Amino acid sequence: MATEPLLPFRKPNEGPRSEGLSYQQLLDTDTRPVPDVLRWQSARDLPASKVPISRYTSREFHDLEVEKLWKKVWQFACREEQIPEVGDHSVYKIADIEIVVVRATATEIKAFRNTCLHRGRAIKDCDGRSQELRCPFHGWSWNLDGSLKTIPARWDFPHVNRDEYHLPEVRVGCWGGYVFINMDPDGVSLETYLGDLPKHFTRWPHEKKYIEAWVGKVMPCNWKVCQEAFMEAYHVIATHPQMLPGIGDCNSQYDAWDTFSRAITPNMTVSPHLGWEPTQQDQLDAMFSRDIGAEPLLRVPEGMTARELVGQMTRMQLRATVAGVEDLTDAELNDSFYYTVFPNFHPWGAHNRITYRFRPNGNDPNSCLMEVFFISPFRGKRPAPAKFHLLGTADDWTQAAELGFLARVFNQDTGNLFRVQDGLRAAAHSHVTLAGYQETKPRHFHALLEKHINA
Amino acid sequence: MKMRHPMTGAIYERLESGGCRVTETDGRSGVFTENGRWLSGEVREADLHFLNWVGGPQVESSGGTISGLASGEAGAAVPTFQPRATVAGERKGKGMDLGLSGKRALVTAASRGIGLSIARQLADEGCDVAICARSEGGLESAVKDLEQRGVRVFAKAVDVSDGPALRAFVAEAAGALGGLDIFVSNASAGGGMGEQAWQASFEIDVMGAARGVEAALPFLTKSDAGSIVFISSTAALEYLGVPQPYNAMKAALIAHAGDLSQALAKQGIRVNTVSPGPIYFEGGNWQMIKQAMPAIYQGALAQCAIGRMGTPEEVARAVVFLASPAASLITGANLVCDGGFTKGHQF
Repeated sequence: MATEPLLPFRKPNEGPRSEGLSYQQLLDTDTRPVPDVLRWQSARDLPASKVPISRYTSREFHDLEVEKLWKKVWQFACREEQIPEVGDHSVYKIADIEIVVVRATATEIKAFRNTCLHRGRAIKDCDGRSQELRCPFHGWSWNLDGSLKTIPARWDFPHVNRDEYHLPEVRVGCWGGYVFINMDPDGVSLETYLGDLPKHFTRWPHEKKYIEAWVGKVMPCNWKVCQEAFMEAYHVIATHPQMLPGIGDCNSQYDAWDTFSRAITPNMTVSPHLGWEPTQQDQLDAMFSRDIGAEPLLRVPEGMTARELVGQMTRMQLRATVAGVEDLTDAELNDSFYYTVFPNFHPWGAHNRITYRFRPNGNDPNSCLMEVFFISPFRGKRPAPAKFHLLGTADDWTQAAELGFLARVFNQDTGNLFRVQDGLRAAAHSHVTLAGYQETKPRHFHALLEKHINA
Repeated sequence: MKMRHPMTGAIYERLESGGCRVTETDGRSGVFTENGRWLSGEVREADLHFLNWVGGPQVESSGGTISGLASGEAGAAVPTFQPRATVAGERKGKGMDLGLSGKRALVTAASRGIGLSIARQLADEGCDVAICARSEGGLESAVKDLEQRGVRVFAKAVDVSDGPALRAFVAEAAGALGGLDIFVSNASAGGGMGEQAWQASFEIDVMGAARGVEAALPFLTKSDAGSIVFISSTAALEYLGVPQPYNAMKAALIAHAGDLSQALAKQGIRVNTVSPGPIYFEGGNWQMIKQAMPAIYQGALAQCAIGRMGTPEEVARAVVFLASPAASLITGANLVCDGGFTKGHQF
């Protein structure tokens, strides 16, 4: 049975585009056979070019999101590798709702509301391993399958019926090593929800990767302001100008499917914004942020392009942990493939390590938690996942050495984000305005958000 | 740090005293904080994000993704060496016979580079060969190449870090070739830094050899010419410019080979190590380093006493000799094969 699409179809490649090579034309120059996933294009009719500012600033809208979005939607709660043994649990928090995700049996993961049915204390305070879910207040406990196990002084609760005191369960689904939860007992399965997404990742299976790094920071802006800064390459010209000689920012391709969207930004190509012709070496230097007067870290050999060189270097790096690196395209070795699964889950494609997640910080519409996961390939025994590294609000991203040069890029973004929130709160006008093509991903997000809010 | 703004052409220079000097293309300049606040000078306006990039917090450059160095080029001409075209039993003259004809050898990671060279020369000497590589892709052409040399070839795609798969491959290979006389552990995770590189080097370089030997022993003990060769590296012997798991794990291999040589001698099995220096081949790491980091390449080349890097064929000849019954007195040796790249006297 074909399911009705959430958003009306539109033909891809309609509407105006930047000068320069389109991404599909760039793929035609690849030195390896291009896999279908890079050729797939998809567009949806996305009416939301104007987004009310109140969505980013008002507590009322946040409350609506809690009721209509977070309580209804599939969301990434933890990774399977974080709860490998029976009894392992992870506490996931969204707004002020807490869910405890538990490895109930070797093959089954369950999730429950993390609230004791006696006097309401949160059952688990943090991630850990235990053979029962026991409330630290009076000692009520539940089995890992959610059934009531013991009540101390049972004689005092003749009115408590075991069956009625099963912990309220939340639906669980898994994909790519990620564990998702959904508080809505009805609605579609995770598999149906994700649609074709798994097909996009068959070449780069996230379930065969592990958490190499996990860094978070409370950001002084609405969670949507924050994530929308990581959904397009349009901001590169103003926010990351150092990249321009080696990035095809406005030649990015943007696609929308039902519940997920994708941006592809070519690297080691030249931005059409530049008013001059960089050499192959200039393109490479942009990537390594070469100091004037310093020797280049890498030199592009005569007769080679920066794109070929970075491709070879990346191939060399990946060889130890990734099978079949010889078949990887120049595209996969150079470019950025950043997906967004509605509402807040952002796994990157190819072998780029990034996965982002953005959540409201409690019930504050003016701050959020941004998390960066490095999901990396490995060989042999699965390495232990990295522990959470929460940066202080005053820390800059370079405090997280595990992020490497990306930290400095995040610092540039952070320099905007709190001022976006300031600007939005101070605005006299009512809407932000999104671009027709380059802001496809935020528009796709808002079209779906609107559907949820109006449901 | 000092960089030119790609859009405006202005030079942004990080100052020791904190802050950042911005010099416009007409020569006027100003000094700003990394957060965009003007401090002094004629230029009053600058790009906030570029100020942050140049004047803001920096990260240590990790640098070390290149290495491996398992592989060098000929500055001087490489001497040619034509292996005897062998048909078993058909030998003329009284020269040294390696005694490999009709033997059965297994070489891990042999679809390219040093591994493929070893398999080719073993085949040229009349050995049936079993090879593996991680992906099917390169195996196909390697098998074709080896079969043309008139010997039996068994090949399978195996991830050497996968213990059970490696053991199964060794057993299947022995089954297909009717036994095993020679086991050559060549697979390597190559260079790299960090926890993952440690793990990969351990699983592939060390455990690939240790597990491979365990799996091959039941067959090697039945051979009258049982022999094991591990491929280590000169990176295990001398400091190579950056601490790496590769170097330490290659050192572990030499120690383990020494242990095994003593433990297995009674069963008639010899165990030796070959440690190549920089080896240059098409598609190898040194080719890339030569193109991308000519200074590092030139430095390594200058260190090669013979004036050139080695070739996979030269390493393979050393391996094939040690693996062969001709080396019947040699066990527990680490044969350095580097054209004088390392400078210590080998007592």
